[in-house]
Amino acid sequence: MRPINIKINGRKYKLLVDDHELLSNVIRNKIGLTGTKIGCEQGSCGACTVLVNENPTLSCITPALRCNNTEILTIEALAKDGELHHLQQKFVEKGAIQCGFCTPGMVITALDFVNNNPDPSVEEIKGALSGNLCRCTGYKKIIEAVAEFIKESNQITEGSYNEQQKNGKTNESFGAIGKGRPYIEAEKKVKGTAEYADDIAVRNALHCKFLRSIYPHAKIESIDISEALKLDGVHYISTGKELPVKFGVLPISQDETAMAVDKVRYIGEIVAAVAADTEEIAAEACNRIKVGYKPIKEFVEIDDSINDIGNYEKIHDHTKFNNNIHKKAELRFGDQQQGLKNSFAISKMSFTFEGISHGFTEPHAATAWWDENGLTIITATQVPHYLHRALAKVMEVPLSRVRVIKPYVGGGFGGKSDPFPHEVIIAHLARKTGRPVRVRFSREEVFLTNHGRHPSKMTVEMGLAEDGTFNALDADIAIDGGAYGSFGVVTSYYNGVLLQAPYKLSNFGFKTYRVYTNKPQCGAMRGHGAVNSRFAVETLIDDLAHQLKMDPCEIRLKNFLDSNTLTVGQYRITSNGSRESLQKVMEQSEWKSRFGKLEYGHGIGVGCGFFISGSALPIIWNELPQSVVHLKVDFDGRVVITSGASDIGQGSDTMLAMIVSEVLGISMDKVFVLAADTLLTPVDMGSYSSRVTFMAGNAAKMAAENLKKEITEAIVKKRGIAETELNFSDNCVVSNDKEVNLSWIEAIDILTANRGAVSVSGKYISPKLGGDFKGAGAGLSPSYSFGACIAEVKVNLETGFVKVLHVWGAHDCGKAINPLAVQGQLEGSWHMGIGQAMSEQMRYHNGLLLNNNFLDYRIPTSLDTPDIHTNIIETNDPEGPFGAKECGEGALHPVMPAIGNAIYNAVGVRITNLPISAEEILKKMKEKNKYQQV
Amino acid sequence: MIQKERTYFQPHSAEEAVNIAHKHENESCFIAGGTDVMVNKFQGNNEFSCFIDITGISEMKQISVQDNYLKIGSLVTLDNITKHTQIKNNFPLLIQAANAIASPVIRKTATVGGNLLCENRCVYYNQSTWWREAVGHCLKCDGDICIATGGKKNCFSKFVSDLAVALICMDSNIEVVEHGGSYIAPLENLYSGDGVNPHKLKKSTLIKYIHIPLQQDFRFAFKKLRQRESMEFSSLTTAVTRNKHGKIKIVLGGVDPRPVVVEGTHGNNEQDLIKQAVKKTRIVDNDVFSRQYRKDMISVFLNQSFQEIAV
Repeated sequence: MRPINIKINGRKYKLLVDDHELLSNVIRNKIGLTGTKIGCEQGSCGACTVLVNENPTLSCITPALRCNNTEILTIEALAKDGELHHLQQKFVEKGAIQCGFCTPGMVITALDFVNNNPDPSVEEIKGALSGNLCRCTGYKKIIEAVAEFIKESNQITEGSYNEQQKNGKTNESFGAIGKGRPYIEAEKKVKGTAEYADDIAVRNALHCKFLRSIYPHAKIESIDISEALKLDGVHYISTGKELPVKFGVLPISQDETAMAVDKVRYIGEIVAAVAADTEEIAAEACNRIKVGYKPIKEFVEIDDSINDIGNYEKIHDHTKFNNNIHKKAELRFGDQQQGLKNSFAISKMSFTFEGISHGFTEPHAATAWWDENGLTIITATQVPHYLHRALAKVMEVPLSRVRVIKPYVGGGFGGKSDPFPHEVIIAHLARKTGRPVRVRFSREEVFLTNHGRHPSKMTVEMGLAEDGTFNALDADIAIDGGAYGSFGVVTSYYNGVLLQAPYKLSNFGFKTYRVYTNKPQCGAMRGHGAVNSRFAVETLIDDLAHQLKMDPCEIRLKNFLDSNTLTVGQYRITSNGSRESLQKVMEQSEWKSRFGKLEYGHGIGVGCGFFISGSALPIIWNELPQSVVHLKVDFDGRVVITSGASDIGQGSDTMLAMIVSEVLGISMDKVFVLAADTLLTPVDMGSYSSRVTFMAGNAAKMAAENLKKEITEAIVKKRGIAETELNFSDNCVVSNDKEVNLSWIEAIDILTANRGAVSVSGKYISPKLGGDFKGAGAGLSPSYSFGACIAEVKVNLETGFVKVLHVWGAHDCGKAINPLAVQGQLEGSWHMGIGQAMSEQMRYHNGLLLNNNFLDYRIPTSLDTPDIHTNIIETNDPEGPFGAKECGEGALHPVMPAIGNAIYNAVGVRITNLPISAEEILKKMKEKNKYQQV
Repeated sequence: MIQKERTYFQPHSAEEAVNIAHKHENESCFIAGGTDVMVNKFQGNNEFSCFIDITGISEMKQISVQDNYLKIGSLVTLDNITKHTQIKNNFPLLIQAANAIASPVIRKTATVGGNLLCENRCVYYNQSTWWREAVGHCLKCDGDICIATGGKKNCFSKFVSDLAVALICMDSNIEVVEHGGSYIAPLENLYSGDGVNPHKLKKSTLIKYIHIPLQQDFRFAFKKLRQRESMEFSSLTTAVTRNKHGKIKIVLGGVDPRPVVVEGTHGNNEQDLIKQAVKKTRIVDNDVFSRQYRKDMISVFLNQSFQEIAV
């Protein structure tokens, strides 16, 4: 240990540091400034960026001793005297902040850039930010924020800016539906003071580390923890046998234990867990645990698992046959074979898709403890309610003894929507040690925990009548589930059922096999289940249009389902903006004048899609509403919204506040959101299946209307007027004749007189929908979103490299409650789709993940992201809150096929494998012999 | 205690640094920007207990002209390379190469010397200790066989210094300091070709300066194969120069454990030079791009390069 003197944010510190200690550790753990985030620990995400003597520095790979006698500036120091830095203000205003985890590093990097580059081009801004990964925004709004900061800095003086800022104070504004506004917590995030799971210091906590399997499939013959226990500072070591109760997010797939019991099923599965005084001691204890493994035959490919496995041992003994098939889903409507026979043109292709990681920037982290109230866990989760149930089950305590608290969450995208082993294990360790126990994952562990998009293989066939109407669609799909169930049964169905729109289809069928393999498990990821099969179908449509020499947009327009109709599988389609979406992007991209008229190597392509606005059926079958929202108002006039909905960066807290503010006609500063704490907040199923705006939004609206009714009744009773005459707006309650003209606080005085605080409730229960055949429930939703994308690409004829130049996207979200947030969701979805199309894949070597870091798992940087043109289409859904429906996932579907089809348009090569490979394109171009002609 | 005691030295001169290193010969490692060293340490690939932080040696941060050479201190950051007027005017190839490395924020810390001595890379090597145990240790981490090639007895980890490719292409030398003396040698000679120990320098030897000959009037072309436009280490880097005397030099990175160098003159058949270059590489499947594709791209890049430098 050596002493150092550093000045951080103007304050001098004298500290003792270990010789090899990292600056990030000093800043976060010794000084306690947790605004500096740790996303990768390898300098490849940028979240830990701070200024050291004014130089942007990655604190996670910088030795602390080097910073002796330096001045360090972290995100916390940017705001001065209670006012945000102008650049921070621009991030807030422009909606450049979603989950907020990359924000501190991004702002620091941008700050250095703007300080040294007074007049940069957009390309230079993109370049400057290209070492900071963002998974939420698609960088568009971040780049806009930086560009506008520069523009304004060059135009106005600081003084006049601060004036503007004061006038535009966001939280005093009205939450008018349809008016874009920053998230209510955006300032906190941009200041670095929003606390994520690993930022929350619980006193006297032990640290947990895991020993993970190095075999894909092996019997555990022995575990010797004796040497590890001898280490000073080790408090408890747990192994699988202590936690034998199985769990899983779906009641039908309770196939996972917290740690491997008797055998391991993937490389990376947790075998033992250590609670110790420090992370370092816990890690060293893990090294000293000796596990005797007896490797058995592993199954790492779909084909290995789908076939009879002879005398080898199955991955799970509960599967029905002598193979590793987890789930077979099949549904058929009409007669696909006859439909294909009757077709004028047929297209049939086989596709493969690699696995995809959610790539959220915040690694999983959690802290758990037990006290007189039972178990409390603070954890980065999208589904506090399901975790609540799983913990009660595995800990074998009543539901009333578990409290799950969701802090700010640094992105999820489906990757934090299961109850996880680490959450169960630290609960157990905390019980055993009587101490709080905390855990944080390395990026490698995040990748190993996976639950990402399933690697898939499929053969899809589609037939077309001579007039261009779709006759038949048949899909044969196999998906690689990895070692456990997760959401896989749902994924199996979604791969098929979510092909029954947005087009009219009469002869439609599919069969999906989900197999277990000895790899990290797959689960739900943005656009759940249907992303890959949508790519296949949109590619076939493009091919059919080509065969018929029809415009691929026209053929889609011809086949779209109408509004207020049923699909072949009895989905109830209400509002439907497919047509408007496609027409919008056609117009904006000048499709008609460009399609088929670009030179070889340059192309445009189109794709469409749709998605559910929340699953109509709850995961756990019971009669609880899917969302409940409570409102409480007391003498102070503040309306407290209590909701179990989980804001993971998508903006659901803001959405709830806007809805309540709108209904009651009060400004946003009179509304307070208390969310996602299972002790305090009513049950909400969580943030998955794009359900929150539709379901929690409706519950909030109903609650606000109930409160309005209570207030109205109180005033009517007191003032003796007709209730229809009262108007709630501008923080006032006013009768038409102005006889009653109450400020909000006066109205609340009347409400609470002789009564005190008033609590009301609202709920959402999906209507009964769908047919009564087996499997009819899959993909049912009270409403569906629709969308379209057109992409423009250039293909390098010598290298096969594809550059995406533009994406024009349009998405029917019913009604944009917060257009700024909706744009952010759409841009993030398109960006994520571009990543899957262009560069992302989970690569394995005999079941061992090869690219478990942000350098080798290639999320597009700002430089790899094309110009994105965002269009919100509004169709006012009859059942959505104020007409709103989902916008967080569906937009991802059309972008990938749009890129694939654009490549076909450019060079005549069909993309049937993702990610797109330059090598494959080049090979196919050569095969077509076009290569030499140009 | 858990580990042997960790130490950290911060010398103020090259000689002092070398002396410390000499004293701690088998347990120490120089650290400049640290953007490679610290990541390798995190992954457990760098287990030195003693770090000698050389960033306090100010003389090694200078860029100056000496005789007929531009002399670049090895501690100059990549970012400063890209901003230096004299380099901009005389060696735009170096700017292109520097800008192709890592990300902007890393370039503000990473140094010229650090890039030249960047550890060779392989997808089976640049992994955590746990991971390498799971895969079965490869040659580069004290194992018996190369995993990338499925069992060969040689290590073919990739040489990835983009800056070295550019500097060798411009006939640069390095000035090194070691215990008891210093000398100047061609940069090219630094690289051994052995993937396990890719650098010929002793661990206690320091690169102090890089010398680039002036007034060569290089025409040049530089290309880098990578999936994303930022962050990435090279899958293939090519540089081609022709100086005022018509000397042609091709240097390849990312396709062998060392830089591949082919020289010719203006009169040579370009296709012959390209063939020679391809033939000298030892590419294995240790990258996201296949062996064959990287091989094919060498010819594509070099052909494009020759077109670009044609008068």
